[in-house]
Amino acid sequence: MLKKRPPLLLGTPLAFIAWPLIMNFFYRALCRLAWLALLTGASVHAADTPRQIITKAILAESDDARIATIGSLVGQGDESIKILLAAWKEDALFVYTAPDGTRTPVQLTGEKDAKEAQEAWRVDDGQPLKDAGGQPSRLVGSALTAVEHDSNLRRAMKAVLDLLDLSTTDLEKRVRAIQTIGFAQNPDKIAALEARSKLETAPKAKLALREALALIALKDQSDDVKIAALVELKELHTISSTDFLKATIASPEAAANPKLAQAARSALSAVDNHISWVNFFGTIFRGLSLGSILLVVALGLAITFGLMGVINMAHGEMIAVGAYTTYVVQNIFGTGLALSPFGMSISFPGFHATGWAYESYFIFALPLSFLTAAIAGIAMERTVIQWLYRRPLESLLATWGVSLVLQQFFRRVFGSNNVQVSSPSYLSDNWTFNDIIFGWNRVFVIGFAIAIVFGVWLVLTRTSLGLLIRAVMQNRNMASCMGVRTERVNMLTFGLGSGLAGLAGAFLSQIGNVGPSLGQNYIVDCFMTVVVGGVGNLPGTVVSAFGIGLADQSLQQILLNPVLGKITVLIAIILFLQWRPAGIFVTKSRSLEG
Amino acid sequence: MINKITKILSVGAVALAASFGSARAADTVKVGVLHSLSGTMAISEVSLRDILLFTADEINAKGGVMGKKIELVIVDGASDWPTFAEKAKQLTEQDKVAVTFGCWTSVSRKYVLPVLEKNNALLFYPVQYEGEEESQNVFYTAEAVNQQATPAVDYLLKQGYTKFYLLGTDYVYPQTTNLVLLEYLLSKKVPLANIGGGFKKDDKGVITNAGKYTPFSHTDYQQIIAEIKQFSAGGKTAVISTLNGDTNVPFFKEYAAAGLTAETVPVVSFSISEDEFRGLPAKQLVGQLGSWTYFQSVPGKANADFVANFKKWLPTSPAGVVKEGRVTCSPMVLSYEGMYLWKAAVEKAGSFEVDKVRAALKSGLSFEGPGGKVTSQPNMHMTKTVYIGETKADGQFKILSTIPNVVGEPWLKGKFK
Repeated sequence: MLKKRPPLLLGTPLAFIAWPLIMNFFYRALCRLAWLALLTGASVHAADTPRQIITKAILAESDDARIATIGSLVGQGDESIKILLAAWKEDALFVYTAPDGTRTPVQLTGEKDAKEAQEAWRVDDGQPLKDAGGQPSRLVGSALTAVEHDSNLRRAMKAVLDLLDLSTTDLEKRVRAIQTIGFAQNPDKIAALEARSKLETAPKAKLALREALALIALKDQSDDVKIAALVELKELHTISSTDFLKATIASPEAAANPKLAQAARSALSAVDNHISWVNFFGTIFRGLSLGSILLVVALGLAITFGLMGVINMAHGEMIAVGAYTTYVVQNIFGTGLALSPFGMSISFPGFHATGWAYESYFIFALPLSFLTAAIAGIAMERTVIQWLYRRPLESLLATWGVSLVLQQFFRRVFGSNNVQVSSPSYLSDNWTFNDIIFGWNRVFVIGFAIAIVFGVWLVLTRTSLGLLIRAVMQNRNMASCMGVRTERVNMLTFGLGSGLAGLAGAFLSQIGNVGPSLGQNYIVDCFMTVVVGGVGNLPGTVVSAFGIGLADQSLQQILLNPVLGKITVLIAIILFLQWRPAGIFVTKSRSLEG
Repeated sequence: MINKITKILSVGAVALAASFGSARAADTVKVGVLHSLSGTMAISEVSLRDILLFTADEINAKGGVMGKKIELVIVDGASDWPTFAEKAKQLTEQDKVAVTFGCWTSVSRKYVLPVLEKNNALLFYPVQYEGEEESQNVFYTAEAVNQQATPAVDYLLKQGYTKFYLLGTDYVYPQTTNLVLLEYLLSKKVPLANIGGGFKKDDKGVITNAGKYTPFSHTDYQQIIAEIKQFSAGGKTAVISTLNGDTNVPFFKEYAAAGLTAETVPVVSFSISEDEFRGLPAKQLVGQLGSWTYFQSVPGKANADFVANFKKWLPTSPAGVVKEGRVTCSPMVLSYEGMYLWKAAVEKAGSFEVDKVRAALKSGLSFEGPGGKVTSQPNMHMTKTVYIGETKADGQFKILSTIPNVVGEPWLKGKFK
């Protein structure tokens, strides 16, 4: 109806005179409305620059007024908006109150000097803040009123930045901005997206633009446009379009037009197909990473229990020693560490490193956690275990006792609460390739597992210590007769196994809790991995770790339940051990006891 | 050295006062404290013992309850549920306490319940719980589901979130809460397809279980995070988490590593308060949401005084109370407010008798607490203010929304249609 009326009016001579008048009236009314909205919303003057608007937002009394003021920035394309809003989010904006009481928002930038002062720039005009003498002044952030922000305000900022971000050089941000616009399905934004499509060169952003345009086209009146969009979406088969495709299938238009419904269904099945591939490869990756964790934690036990035959219940606590070492190293790199073990107080001064230097703490923590755990292991071997070779049951009880003592020791020294170990930024991001997430911590653990297995293999097969270890483990008496100092070899082997547990602890601190009971959570998994692999067989441990990891993750994916997955794996292991009690790889031996 | 001497002296003084107190029993009233001071729950529950010690000192300094000084009888539930029942029996039958403050986990409360009912004793229970219970022998200062979970969902709906992923630790509180939330979301016209985490149905197709559950001290959240990532693609999604205690660490570390943030997919947690925050990775939690009936950052004089007095009291507190780095949180304040409500009830009833105190409580008594005004209800629950906040790097919450006078309602299953 609406579309038909203007030509009718235009057809009459009267309309020729009336039309511009009507339009003029509407235009004025609209202007007035917009004007009113601005006035009531946040009292922003139309001639204000983006900088001035932000100044007003900072000085606004209520959160609502702030949000409204920020909202009025939408559509402005000034570079200063991005800088200032980013500074706001990063807590670099402050309000400077002059002696006469006037409040001036300032941005503090640059290096802090000895008095912690930084350069101050006025928010309203981007010029340096001048003191009474006209000199640029330096201010201390903590002495000023910080400008606060909360999620509502950040969301308002995001809406402003979304359109700005369409042309940002940061690819990730640009893609997110494009997607946000696409999901909103607002036809007004088509022009902006199409303009961007002409300029865009990055393939990822191009895909996002195609998806966004297709999603917006789903809201079009015409079924043909929709079908074209669905064909496009089928080709793109993005996970994010699932909900929109389902909505299209359920819509009355699809019920009326079987062709449309068919197109939507075929697009959805393409997406589903894609999701099942993503899940398949994702599961394999997650299985490998879980397997790597099992391998890392169990490798030390494969040496102390597998090769040496000590049922080492304190293996978990050696892992915790490594994790706590990482915690100590982290704090020394940071602000220092104050402990009050057994009523005494000890404090380690910190380096006060920040940024990159601080995050490198993990690189130093790795060898140190190996060393401390190895020393703890050697001490344990010298004091307790050396008397218990060939008496496996006593060694079980004794090492269990040691594990309880160590747990209590951690409680007395570090407190019974868990301690915080922060993940460096190079371990807390991800690559997303074709919708499969490769977390850097997970990629790291896989590489780490490969590296230490290779390292252990080198030590055992290519060094003289390895030769001695193998000799002593195969036949202690014979090796002793040949002049090998078996006691020393035992000690070093146990130290090696414990050190590997310490390395595992350093890694576990990056993905989980560090607390007194850390070891308890992993000890069962460790024994399970070693026993399934075949006691005394390192390649067996590798195979069983990856096997258990993959089985666990696949079952979780299939059963959609983390508990059921784990139970199923445990039942499978019990059945497997009934069938092959000696594990996957049986160590063949000529000795009578074997 | 001098410090040590004063410590010994003060311990001696406490012991003396205690023996003196029992010698003149007429001037004191015995109040039971039943929390786990050892075992896994000790981390959380010891804070409640501390706040009760503080509250008793504060009340005694102002002249006690009806002129009688409060004498706390502190027993250790040891994170073991039968021990809770045993100790409750000791408190009610042997020590004959006028009232008991205690329990954290729902299962410990369930164990204590028969003992209380047999002896007609009264327990004040201070920690968020799943509802579906209304004993005449328990006064629930705790948050019911409609004083924590549903206001948080209301807030998210108002923010324009359309998809919700339910995730929790595998025990009664998360399971019941999520079932109530499912009904609530459906009543708010959120389609079933937009509620993630999975469902279990019985033979008749009725949903008996909603959401994804992991055991206590679960460490591997890769699969669940991948699921959330797929679920959240293409719609404003929030995660509603009832994950307990230390499982939050691997969850949030994995969450951050998968590129999910508080701005794209926020998590609202019902089990992380200021006190739990001390062992969590602050960096990964900034911006995530919480919902409680008290935050340490609640504005107003009542709260400022409460926090200041507690901090002032800490250095003078008995040995065994951790003195550094303490914060206040909702379960602590609900214990504090509970003791004051009990005092008001005793004074109104003019008696320590449980029946009379209960009647006074049911008549609707008010107390201006740190978290705002609280009022006791006839159904043994408490009307209070609900706050939604987002976590800051210093472990405190910035309050985003305040909902005053929310009536505690334990029976919520089947209520939202």
